Amino acid sequence: MGVRALIEERGAAFEGYTFGFLDDMAKREIRRAILKGVAIPGHQVPFGSREMPIARGWGTGGLQITLACVGADDTIKVIDQGDDASVNAVNLRRLIAKTTGARETLTTGDATLIQTRHRIPEERMTAGQMLILQVPIPEPLRHVERSVAAARAMHAEADYARMWLALYEDVVRNGEVTAGAGYPVMVNHRFVMAPSPIPRWDIPKLDQAETLFLFGAGREKRIYAVPPYTDVKPLEFEDYPFSIEGFPGMSCRRCGATDSYLVTSPQADGSTLSVCSDASYCDDVLGGRKVVNQW
Amino acid sequence: MVAPLLRVRDLNKIYSGKGHRIVACEDVSFDVYPGEVLGIVGESGSGKSTVLQCLFQDVIPTSGSAFLTSFHGGERNMWDADRRERRELRTHRMSMVYQNPRQGLNLMVTAGGNVAERLLAADWRRVSDIRAKASDYLVRTEVPIERMDDFPAFFSGGMQQRVQIAKALANNPELVLLDELTTGLDVSVQAGVLDLVRDIQSRYGVTAIVVSHDLGVIRLLADRTLVMKDGHVVESGLTDQILEDPQHPYTQLLVNCVTN
Repeated sequence: MGVRALIEERGAAFEGYTFGFLDDMAKREIRRAILKGVAIPGHQVPFGSREMPIARGWGTGGLQITLACVGADDTIKVIDQGDDASVNAVNLRRLIAKTTGARETLTTGDATLIQTRHRIPEERMTAGQMLILQVPIPEPLRHVERSVAAARAMHAEADYARMWLALYEDVVRNGEVTAGAGYPVMVNHRFVMAPSPIPRWDIPKLDQAETLFLFGAGREKRIYAVPPYTDVKPLEFEDYPFSIEGFPGMSCRRCGATDSYLVTSPQADGSTLSVCSDASYCDDVLGGRKVVNQW
Repeated sequence: MVAPLLRVRDLNKIYSGKGHRIVACEDVSFDVYPGEVLGIVGESGSGKSTVLQCLFQDVIPTSGSAFLTSFHGGERNMWDADRRERRELRTHRMSMVYQNPRQGLNLMVTAGGNVAERLLAADWRRVSDIRAKASDYLVRTEVPIERMDDFPAFFSGGMQQRVQIAKALANNPELVLLDELTTGLDVSVQAGVLDLVRDIQSRYGVTAIVVSHDLGVIRLLADRTLVMKDGHVVESGLTDQILEDPQHPYTQLLVNCVTN
């Protein structure tokens, strides 16, 4: 459905906009960057990040990828830290739907295209679906090498000794690798990649998934990808293996789930409240819908 | 006849800019044999450090060739190496001890971590093994093991230098390059570091090139010596021979300065 048809159907809100907000050349450039990213899994591809009608740092990278990929017959879902209903998620979803005519959904299984910040859905995504992650810092070597040029050379030469050294130092000082969100991963046995600040819980989902993962960093002007059926392994020492967060003895206060990533918030009376981070998964469990959450 | 580990031929490094041309070193050729220590002595500005920097590829020479036996069977000029090969040479086959430990060490990383970096580069992936090996090297260089997880930024100059030597020995490089390793240290610490290097050298048979302006250091460590002046090698031979019977006027001057 073109914008003209959208205007006829839904009124003047679409006047003056091209389909998918971005102009055709922008979409073409972003798609090329995506294709390159898919061809070289884990490799950061520079692209000309555009001004968007939201602030840098609010998901402009993810939004540009979404708008470059979405078609009028797509069904979109937007999550912000697992929540479909946060202001940011609602606004992004509305923008995408308004400028493309794509249908909106809150259900992971119904979506063809999901844009997300900081979480991968609990429900297993399947072939044909696409997950677009918003990335604040695409360079996993940022903390060990300040120079962008030097970091790119390190990627080119697969020279990750400094990265490993940072992990070693972490183990020496703290007894474990402390990276909580955005645990560094090795993609396709070649590139170390920042998986965006998803919790460790979500890291294993990247490995050999059926789904295409796209990563967009708007401020840093980088796009990268993990195509379906790609090996994605967390960096780990043999005697300090990677492990996901556990929630022993805890369950979601709302739906009772014990098999999902929980977020805990302090309450006024001094107690804590733990609920599913993935709100739509929580709703599914409450509604009795059968959901496959084994990735 | 043992084949040389390293052959350097016609090394030139010329810095040229607008209207000036500075010859750092010219037509320098020498061999280094396995297990020996080659000394390079000369005054400040004689080009001795340039030779070392070229070998470690901190600086790319203007022309010349260097063949390391283990690098493409000694057939390929080290200075034609691509970036990846260069990195491999620097992390697996050679190591460098700089005059200033700040250049050779990452002061934001623990002493053990500095040594571990070369092991991690060689794909060591078990923390307990890495720590055992790193502490082994630190013991060899007499760094107190309880300081292993401290930052070298808080170490004395002598101890920083010993950590640097431990790092240089990690992963058993074929060739260790030592650049003025005692120059920044006070005399008593100098003696300790020199003893240490000599001891390690004799015990583990490390092949090394030692650059110094100090004939005392050369006398103590080097089997053979090159004397450099104004970018040229003016004399070369067994260290004893050069010290006892210097042929070139500059070497005579140099030896005289020390004995007087």
